[in-house]
Amino acid sequence: MSTTRTAPTLRPLRRTARRSPLRQLGKGVLVALLLAFTLFPVYWMLNSSLDAQAGHTSSFWPAEPTLDHYAFVLTEGGFGTFLRNSLLVALGTVLVSSALALLASVAVARFRFRMRTQILMLVLIVQMVPLEALVIPLFVQVRDLQLLGTLIGLVVVYVALALPFGIWMLRGFVAAVPVELEEAAYLDGASWGRMFWSVLLPLVAPGLVATSIFGFITAWNEFIFAMTMLGGATENYTVAIGLRSFFGIHSNDWGAIMAASTIITVPVMIFFILVQRRLASGLTAGAVKA
Amino acid sequence: MTQQLTAAPPRIGRARAAIVRPWLLLAPALLVLAVLLLWPLVRVFLFSLQDYGLREITTGEPNWIGADNYAGILSTPELWTVVLPNTIGFAVLAVAGTVAFGTGVAVLLASLGTFWRTVTSSAIMAAWAMPAVTGTYVWVWIFDADRGVFNDVLMGLGLLDDPTNWFTNRWTFYAIVLLNVIHHGFPFVAVTVLAGLLGVPKEMLEAAEMDGAGAFRRFFSIIVPQLRQVFAVVIILSTIWDFKVFAQVYLMPGGAGSNRSVLNLGVWSYVESFGQNRYGFGSAIAVLLTALLLVITAVYVRTVLAEEER
Repeated sequence: MSTTRTAPTLRPLRRTARRSPLRQLGKGVLVALLLAFTLFPVYWMLNSSLDAQAGHTSSFWPAEPTLDHYAFVLTEGGFGTFLRNSLLVALGTVLVSSALALLASVAVARFRFRMRTQILMLVLIVQMVPLEALVIPLFVQVRDLQLLGTLIGLVVVYVALALPFGIWMLRGFVAAVPVELEEAAYLDGASWGRMFWSVLLPLVAPGLVATSIFGFITAWNEFIFAMTMLGGATENYTVAIGLRSFFGIHSNDWGAIMAASTIITVPVMIFFILVQRRLASGLTAGAVKA
Repeated sequence: MTQQLTAAPPRIGRARAAIVRPWLLLAPALLVLAVLLLWPLVRVFLFSLQDYGLREITTGEPNWIGADNYAGILSTPELWTVVLPNTIGFAVLAVAGTVAFGTGVAVLLASLGTFWRTVTSSAIMAAWAMPAVTGTYVWVWIFDADRGVFNDVLMGLGLLDDPTNWFTNRWTFYAIVLLNVIHHGFPFVAVTVLAGLLGVPKEMLEAAEMDGAGAFRRFFSIIVPQLRQVFAVVIILSTIWDFKVFAQVYLMPGGAGSNRSVLNLGVWSYVESFGQNRYGFGSAIAVLLTALLLVITAVYVRTVLAEEER
């Protein structure tokens, strides 16, 4: 009896506390500060990319609005080539790493076999290895394969970088598909391959999309390997290192750098919004379960 | 009956297939991981025991010198005065800053209505999505000595007389890296902690409120213990990321080795290898960085497991 009595009195109490004007104001100020801090760099990038005066006078909105920086970057700046290179490398990485990750994730999510736990631990641990430690031996390896300066050399490396997280993320999606569906397909006489294509694949498609986007972003953003492996092969530069060509010895073309940065960032932001939830849960899933 | 009999042989076949099949499925991925991640890890260790330079790369002949590279690193005064403080000190500050700020944002988000929560989370996503390379260039531009908006605003307010180059001083250099890394890293913490916060039973919080517990008391006595696991994960991952900070330092003015007072382990390893062609020495530095990360990972994994057993 006493509990049913206290509950109704509690609710109005909390509501008044939540709606007190002072608290609302405080919260509003915090939200405004947070938005300012979070968005300022993004805004400043856009602002400078659209201002003909960028690099001469700072102004909080484009003093002389123009698209010239974009035009320059994409024509004389040669950024079109860098974009094409990045796109090729990213798509190559996505195709290979997602296919391999899918096969491997079916193995670890659907089968109980010896060494399964060890393999999962291995997949988790290799993600912690710093790229600085891998770049020296991989540089030598890619050099021995005579793939330095080529896009294929980069794809080979990026597949390895994207694969562990891909397996980790897809594992959850495969495990979520009810085994009963596969057993039903078996009973109906479907072969294992048929079951894979017609039952499993459509159901893990959302996971495959998330994995692909993750692989795409990995390849698109990667810097240290692109810089090391491509060296002087300017015609094969990806966007992340192509940006450096707008830096001069004495002065930097900030309008062009910010326009190019915007072109690089926009696709990543779109993809991010598409997979944000899965990305956060994918990063923590394994560790929380372990 | 006959049906059961005919069904039996395939079942034996299935049992055998069940042993072979996972390995067939795993083979391509394991091959890639072995050749492109595990073998390189072994190799970087082997390089670190050699005087490995351009000659060794071209001829492929080994040049063993035992632990000389490690001895050389440990007896470099810069390691103790510059590189390790820049690596460890920075990581500690960055993890503390990212986790504290991200948690604060999560608490704020949890208290907002649907509309403002959506608006704020979208803004946070934008900060998260900013690639490290472009994000770093934007911060460099904001703090640029001659034309940056930061100097302009300070001078406009009369707080600064002449444009200052913030990149030459080690402390201000790393303050900018810290700002960059926190800006890029807090969204993950905020999103993850928010998910955890929304999972804390409302009854517990209401009961505590009725018993007169204030907001701080509720946060530290109920929410933190409930989210122990979430915090452990967030701290582990942030630590691993913040120890490996590379582009955020390398792409800053002076960060690529010309200003030796801002070197960290990763950049030092890279410039020794690819700048000086001392691949053996650089490998030894990289091995130290990897070892440091493994120790941290092991300590945290043990903490997480210990918490679970409690």
